[in-house]
Amino acid sequence: MKYLMITLLLLITSFAKSQDAQLTVISNQKGAPAALNLTELKSIFMGERQRWRNGTKVVIALMKPNTETGKVISNKLYNMSSDEVNKFWLALVFQGRADSPVSFDSAAALESFVASNPGAIGIVAQNDLPADAQVTLIDGKKAF
Amino acid sequence: MLYTIKLFVATAFIAFAFCMPAAAQRTDIRGFGDVTTTYQHKKMSFGFDEQDLFITSQLTDRISFLGETVFKPDSLSHSGFDVSIERIIIKYNYAGNNNLLIGKHHTPINYWNDTYHHGRVFFPTIFRPLLFDAGYIPLHTTGISLEGHDLGDIKFGYNLMVGNGLGSQDVLDNDKNKSVTALMYIKPVDRLRIGASYYHDVISKGAEVHDHPNIANWKVKQNLLTGSIAYFGKKYELLAESTMGLNHTDSTGTTRSFASYVYTGYHVTEKLIPYIRVDNLAFQDDEVYFKKNNTTAFLAGVRYQINFLTVVKLEYMHQHSTYEGDINKVTAQFAIGF
Repeated sequence: MKYLMITLLLLITSFAKSQDAQLTVISNQKGAPAALNLTELKSIFMGERQRWRNGTKVVIALMKPNTETGKVISNKLYNMSSDEVNKFWLALVFQGRADSPVSFDSAAALESFVASNPGAIGIVAQNDLPADAQVTLIDGKKAF
Repeated sequence: MLYTIKLFVATAFIAFAFCMPAAAQRTDIRGFGDVTTTYQHKKMSFGFDEQDLFITSQLTDRISFLGETVFKPDSLSHSGFDVSIERIIIKYNYAGNNNLLIGKHHTPINYWNDTYHHGRVFFPTIFRPLLFDAGYIPLHTTGISLEGHDLGDIKFGYNLMVGNGLGSQDVLDNDKNKSVTALMYIKPVDRLRIGASYYHDVISKGAEVHDHPNIANWKVKQNLLTGSIAYFGKKYELLAESTMGLNHTDSTGTTRSFASYVYTGYHVTEKLIPYIRVDNLAFQDDEVYFKKNNTTAFLAGVRYQINFLTVVKLEYMHQHSTYEGDINKVTAQFAIGF
């Protein structure tokens, strides 16, 4: 009984932590501005913007919705379940309205892609942020 | 010496090819399909519908391609099947959220035609609204269009299209007349879209029109005015569209008809959505172009979304029409994407 309670407590803590996980926006040097507000960020990740102000194409890099960070992004940014986010993007591409995001299983692969592709913007867990990444502030903060 | 030069050039080419930017070109291939079971006239039938092959490719920073090809049952074909290119579009993103599109499109005349195409896994109901089967709206246009989306705070969108028009083939216009489609919409709040469109075309006398039962016996000037409202929220869904068709001939004057439907659904859970839909087609007695099959239909169903690629639906429909009388039908569908 004691071990069951401890296990339960650990599970609940882990779930709570994942829901509260802080996210950071990283971007390529060419394209995304140094700062955005949350509404603008959401609009970009909903495929509502094709070009940055300097004319560079917006390229969205996303952690796959079935990853831990992907689940947090689905909840915090999209206000959808992971399955709804998948459906949303499939429908948008099917309508011809947007290009599908580039999806990743690992933060390292996402960070490497963003660093080497002009116009790319991605979201990682704050804990996975590499020291040399270009961070886009959201509402003036490094994490949201 | 020559061998050394060739080897050097080949090596340089290979090295250059592997140094190309990672996002230079990306091609995605998707498919959609469905199987159905229908109970009608005291008989149960198993069947399947279109298999949809969907390809997109980002060719350059500004140019992309979209192609949708459908394989479908066709009793008139010797093989029992038909292949149809439903969409083939080359898109050029010339500025911000504004694009130039060339090719064969689904005419952006209403929300349903502009959104769901042939992907039945996305349909909120099993079948399209009745105005599609009635040949009321021009499903496809081969032509050129300017479109924009998510412009400004109210997320304004537009589409201005000029095309070959009704009676034309995919690759050849049958007359000098061009169809014109103008669509505008706004998305003032999340998940809500309010739109209106105008379509104008001249259908030549003798033209055979796809999905239309009769050859045009007169030259018809057609104007279609459509209003639509679409809201797909986390709890409630509403899709209501109405098209007024004005068909004019020099001998009969102008006739007016209406084709409308209202759909609403409710998320009992994220995955379980019961829904209803009401369709109405109403034609004037002296209508010269549309088939004067006044129709009213009511359907009730439930949709279960296993995940974003698999959906099961069950529906009952009652339909009353001038030519077919009363029809009662129960249909189950398993729709997939891959």
